Amino acid sequence: MEFHARNLADAIEVRLTGRLEFTDHDRLRDIVALLDGPNLRRFVVDVSGLDFIDSAGLGMILILQEEAEQKNIKLVVRGPRNDVKRSIDLAKIGEIVTIEY
Amino acid sequence: MAISLDDCRVLIVDDNEFNRKSLSLLLTRSGIRNIAFATDGVDGLAKVETFRPDLVLLDVAMPRMDGLEMCRQLRSDPRNAELPILFQTALDRDEEQVACFNAGGNDFISKPIRPGECIARVRHQLERRKLFRDLTAFRERVQKELLHAHAMQISLLPESRSIAKLGEIYGLDITSHFETSSELGGDLWSIFEVDADRIGFLIVDFAGHGITAAINTFRLHTLFERSSVSRKDPAEWLTYLNVALKEVLPTGQFATAFYCVLDKQTNLLTYAGAGAPNPILCVDGELTLLDSSGLLLGISHHAKYRTQHVLLPPGGFLLLYSDALLECRGVDGAPFGQEAVLAQVRKMVAADRRPADPVSVLLEPFLEQVSRPLRDDLTLIWIGRR
Repeated sequence: MEFHARNLADAIEVRLTGRLEFTDHDRLRDIVALLDGPNLRRFVVDVSGLDFIDSAGLGMILILQEEAEQKNIKLVVRGPRNDVKRSIDLAKIGEIVTIEY
Repeated sequence: MAISLDDCRVLIVDDNEFNRKSLSLLLTRSGIRNIAFATDGVDGLAKVETFRPDLVLLDVAMPRMDGLEMCRQLRSDPRNAELPILFQTALDRDEEQVACFNAGGNDFISKPIRPGECIARVRHQLERRKLFRDLTAFRERVQKELLHAHAMQISLLPESRSIAKLGEIYGLDITSHFETSSELGGDLWSIFEVDADRIGFLIVDFAGHGITAAINTFRLHTLFERSSVSRKDPAEWLTYLNVALKEVLPTGQFATAFYCVLDKQTNLLTYAGAGAPNPILCVDGELTLLDSSGLLLGISHHAKYRTQHVLLPPGGFLLLYSDALLECRGVDGAPFGQEAVLAQVRKMVAADRRPADPVSVLLEPFLEQVSRPLRDDLTLIWIGRR
């Protein structure tokens, strides 16, 4: 997985591309660190460029959600499609995390 | 890192007595007490056998067999593949030194011997050997422990004898496949006798694989034994497992699951899912994907699960599987996906609705293409009604 972060007014948008899976755990730490940015209200994870997510990848989204919640930052997962959308829907991640389709 | 050289054994192979004595004196002064001598290559090979040195200090030019040949012969024996061999040579041309390495030497010291350099190189080789041995011992111990743990993990699964017995009682043919991607895995499946007519099947896949995921399968299995919660109602059983797992699992660890109960009198299959792959139901040759969506187990105390119903009359079957089956990649590098799995089941049903070992028939084309070990743990359970 590759990611690119972009600063907006009171938000950070992180765009993920490739495959989000077991081997990306180290990368997650870098994304979690972005939550420490100043005056952050929203944290948008754009997954529209993601081709695949496995259960470990879903776990990473849940970890991000918990970290964001503790810092009072609203986490939004945006634009899942195809296999990624199927996996997110199957696991009902939408009950825990805000998903924007 | 300075280690004690007290118990290190060094063999000096040199045809010159003066050299043997002066090397031995140097080694003794640095704390090495176990020293043996050989006067040529033939003698040296014999001494390696009897003395079992930790390091050989080897002269190059000697009568009968020279040092290079002795080194080559030592290296051809796997037992001596890692034995440190230090050449001592007066030859200082590049190709002569390269010949020492090509023969299998680890390093060389130049003659005339300089005491400081000699001891430093000996020490370096002995320390490397000790580290290598420690690592090898560690690896062997872990491998042995993992092997035991693997056997323990297999013992969590239903035994073939009890599967056959339950098959007789409930009129079912049950076959399964369980393969972990490393010694230990995060998959688990189980059968529950609900009452005289009803039998329950659970398939669970913890996120990730390896030791962490495997420990979670043991945690879950303990919950089966301990709980008196009814397994009649799938949503209720998943709700119980979810809350119990939420108590013990850290964030980021969770499981997908599917649980179903089959009633042999009414043909009713009741089921609930927690994000497991969609099971495949076959009734009268028609295939359907069952809804297995549901919040993953162990994420939220408030997760709600929904029990659904469908008929599974005699002659039909249900196929449960872990997502590794969908994510297995073929020769083209692309995952097989749901369509390929459905197509394979359809093909099997068309050829023979009830082969003797349906799981093997289904898996054959997949396992032919994937490379071992698998990237993820693979479980399949085929439940056929007689």
